[in-house]
Amino acid sequence: MKCPPFSYHRATDVADAVAALGAADGEGKILAGGQSLVPLLALRLARPAVLVDVNRVPGLDGLVVRDGVLHAGALVRHLHLAGQDHHPLAAEAARWIGHTAIRSRGTLAGSLAHADPSAELPAVLRACDGAVHVAGPGGTRRLGADELFVGALQSSLAETEMITGVELPVPDAWGFAEFARRHGDFAIVSVAAARFGDRLRVVVGGVAGVPHLVDPGDLATCDGGLSADRVAILAAAAADDVDPPSDLHGSAGYRRALTEQMTARALTQLAGHRTPEAA
Amino acid sequence: MTGDHRPASGTPVRRKEDARLLTGRGRYVSDLALPRMRHVAFVRSPLAHGRITGIDTDGALAVDGVTAVFTGEHPALASVALRALSALPGYVETDQPPLARDKVRFAGEAVAAVVADDRYLAEDGAEAVVVDYEPLTPTVCAWDAGITDPVHDEAPDNLLLSRTFTAGDVDDALAGAHVVVDRDLTTNRHGGNPIECRAGVARYEAADRRLTFWSGTQVPHLVRTQLAELLDLPEGNIRVIAPDVGGGFGVKAVLYPEDVALCLMAMATPGIPLKWVEDRVEHLLAATHARDHRYVLRAGFAADGELLAVRADVWCNVGAYSVYPWTAGIEPLMAGGLLTGPYKLAHYACTVRGVTTNTSPSGPYRGVARPATVFAMEALLDSGARALDMDPIALRRRNLILPADVPYRMPSRLVDDSGAYEACLDRAVAMFDLAGWRAEQGRRRKVGGRPLGIGVGIYNELTGLGRAASAGPRMPFRTGHDACTVRINPDGAVTVFSGVTSQGQGLETTMAQVVADALGVDYDAVDVRIGDTDSSLWGFGAFSSRQAVIGGGAAHLAGADVRAKALALAGALCEVDVSDLDLRAGQVHVRGQEKPVIALAEVAEVAYLRSDRLPEGFEPGLESTKFYDPIRGAFAAGVQIAALEFDPATGEIGILDWVCVEDAGRIVHPVIVAGQVAGSIAQGIGGAMYEHLVYDEDGNLSTGTLLDYLMPTAGEIPELRIGHVCTEGANPTHVRGVGEGGTLAPNAVVAGALLDALGVEVDDLPVTPARVWELVSP
Repeated sequence: MKCPPFSYHRATDVADAVAALGAADGEGKILAGGQSLVPLLALRLARPAVLVDVNRVPGLDGLVVRDGVLHAGALVRHLHLAGQDHHPLAAEAARWIGHTAIRSRGTLAGSLAHADPSAELPAVLRACDGAVHVAGPGGTRRLGADELFVGALQSSLAETEMITGVELPVPDAWGFAEFARRHGDFAIVSVAAARFGDRLRVVVGGVAGVPHLVDPGDLATCDGGLSADRVAILAAAAADDVDPPSDLHGSAGYRRALTEQMTARALTQLAGHRTPEAA
Repeated sequence: MTGDHRPASGTPVRRKEDARLLTGRGRYVSDLALPRMRHVAFVRSPLAHGRITGIDTDGALAVDGVTAVFTGEHPALASVALRALSALPGYVETDQPPLARDKVRFAGEAVAAVVADDRYLAEDGAEAVVVDYEPLTPTVCAWDAGITDPVHDEAPDNLLLSRTFTAGDVDDALAGAHVVVDRDLTTNRHGGNPIECRAGVARYEAADRRLTFWSGTQVPHLVRTQLAELLDLPEGNIRVIAPDVGGGFGVKAVLYPEDVALCLMAMATPGIPLKWVEDRVEHLLAATHARDHRYVLRAGFAADGELLAVRADVWCNVGAYSVYPWTAGIEPLMAGGLLTGPYKLAHYACTVRGVTTNTSPSGPYRGVARPATVFAMEALLDSGARALDMDPIALRRRNLILPADVPYRMPSRLVDDSGAYEACLDRAVAMFDLAGWRAEQGRRRKVGGRPLGIGVGIYNELTGLGRAASAGPRMPFRTGHDACTVRINPDGAVTVFSGVTSQGQGLETTMAQVVADALGVDYDAVDVRIGDTDSSLWGFGAFSSRQAVIGGGAAHLAGADVRAKALALAGALCEVDVSDLDLRAGQVHVRGQEKPVIALAEVAEVAYLRSDRLPEGFEPGLESTKFYDPIRGAFAAGVQIAALEFDPATGEIGILDWVCVEDAGRIVHPVIVAGQVAGSIAQGIGGAMYEHLVYDEDGNLSTGTLLDYLMPTAGEIPELRIGHVCTEGANPTHVRGVGEGGTLAPNAVVAGALLDALGVEVDDLPVTPARVWELVSP
């Protein structure tokens, strides 16, 4: 478990990082918090020729709310996200990530770029219909959550692109529930629920290659009140809507049952959790 | 020093090893750096079973920094094999090469070794070794597989060992039983997983043919003996040093092919120390596994709950090789010998089998087989209680071995000297507040809330096996004794050279306490040296919960003997009858007098430096070496009882309370004992609920990292409430072993609680949320 040889470039700014990725001819990889990449290197499952370290790039660790949207820099650490109160859903989800040591290093953009369908923040990005800002050799572009995630550990980012910032609209009400074998593990199933006005978005992690946006049909609108019956109907609809795989930690049927339970928990929480007006 | 000597034993003195271990100054093999040292990485088989048709090492040798590549056919290794010996009838002896020869028998078996300037380069080289295989059909499961290609030619049926234990007439007893219950149980393969994986540094000096092997081993003296034979060196030319070792749990009581390969390669590169530090992927793949068993059981009970008969068919998956030197018998023989546990039974028929498969070899792991057998036995009793409509605890009480029954000859003919089971059970039930939890269970059933169940496990831990009890596997050695040397230095302080070893469990402290009390000096005056075969005379090391009993016994005897020598010399120097003298806190007193007549330091000075004052008939020096062997063993009783809740919707399992009461005999260090009990329960909970090494049908390990192989963390282990009863062991320090007992009950407790809460019998472990959900979902 020692990584294969690579060269190392410490980027001074975004342009430098993008240039270094371009020079690597598709063999470059961004090193941010390293919480997923370094184990993959140690297992020799990732073999980049160049590691582009963006940790010293200035200006990527800010958090600010404008017009009901949290704008977060790519290097915002999970611990920072967990401690802010502008976006309570993102804060709650970040608290479920790993352990303190992991949260103090891991970054928001790193988690999104890694695109693990069991991870918390990709589910939150999709539940909030957020977007990422991307810099590449051709300039910058904005990618919506629905376009970013392509499959398990696959995003639509080009090998020469890096995420520079994240937009997370702040929901009017929210809920988050997760079931994992141990505290800090990747979820077997997680659910992020967000309400914007009368629009309800429920995203299930751990049941597909990407965070799964539940299509609840006519139930997608929500006038603010969520009765227990309504929660149960929505939870059952979510369970019907997923087609999860089976693996060591649970069968498809078990994941479907957990989807119903976690959706119910998240929506029950949502019914009682409103984002403070101060945001 | 005060004249007022208080015994060190029984008090939580500060641990001698903590100053270095808790401040990051431990001395582990992993920390060792020697001049000219090179690093080794092993090339491991990706196939579970296959013939090696070619190995191309050219690519590896071309990697910058790689200095050598060894294969099984290298002249330095080609004639060596590890062959675990036993005289048991029907045991099939097989060879395990240090690096695979001709064929590979499990995924992860070492096929070649690359030597390089550092471990990174060694791994680069290992990637560049090309091995060609011709696949053979693998056998993964030990009980439901047809055999296409046997694992070893010597055992065409894959059976390395089989033995039947019988007592009484089971058929007759079952025919007369009021109820008969059947269970078919399997337990989950898992392993020890110490924080520090395996590690070794081997250095060979050709000029005087001396080999030094620093090894994270639990058994340095045994390793020395085995290496001498395997390497064809005089035993005195080999020095094995086990410095600080970061956990063992039995996994490091094995001499591994990698260890032997490392030493053989070091002999082929004289003067160049070779270092191998195993990583976690290698550990999960190729360090010994354990507990992959099946139990097909039938038990008969009388109407009043008396257990009349047990019939058992047991299969233990022993993996690809007979683990050296313990043999493939280690788990099956323990399973058959201890299955009936703390219960009286006259009619018993149990056939155990050690079946070789294309999986990593099974070896000793804390509790050896008994977490499975306690699960099996308690499952029979829980099923029996339901069939008889009896309270499960009452049924257990009906059958326990009681103080009046001991010494009790178990149906396997082992002799139980404990009888403390009911005392442990009484105390556990009281501490646990059984009535309170039963009331809460009833309340939840009435008004709702997560179903709650109470699980119980009662067990006997066979500890400190002497020569009679350790004879079972009939290996060419008997592990009944240890030695200890106690030396009073010229300044009066004490150095102890003990044969015990420590993997974090505080043996330096425990031995110092025993010696301080036996000798009559302060705990702080005693320094303990362990783990170096050049300084201590002999010790079999850490396994079978043996060291407090056996190593402690030797320390006590040596300490008492030096005390007698020191007092004799003091008496002669002071012209006082030795029978009037007493040694307390390093001062020699005439009994009943406050003022000492001479300090031990002065006696020691005379013994070493002032032969002009040495009375006639006294030799210089103050030292004694003693062996101790308890002949039999010290059975240790234990009971665990816990309340768990289950969420039928998610399968989530919550542990609400967990009580353990054990009989450790006279306790030497209360905090160390509590730590042993708590740590072993935590490992037991890991096995019951989390840890599972899963192979797919091709023999690939599916749980190859700690992402998929789940170990419990502090977050998963509840606050454990630990109590004690004390029945003194028949040994010099009156102790009973406590190293393993905690692991024995959690399987039974968790499964029993699930049955009690939701009425479902779980037949296969671990009990995970997914499994609970499957069992209760329509």
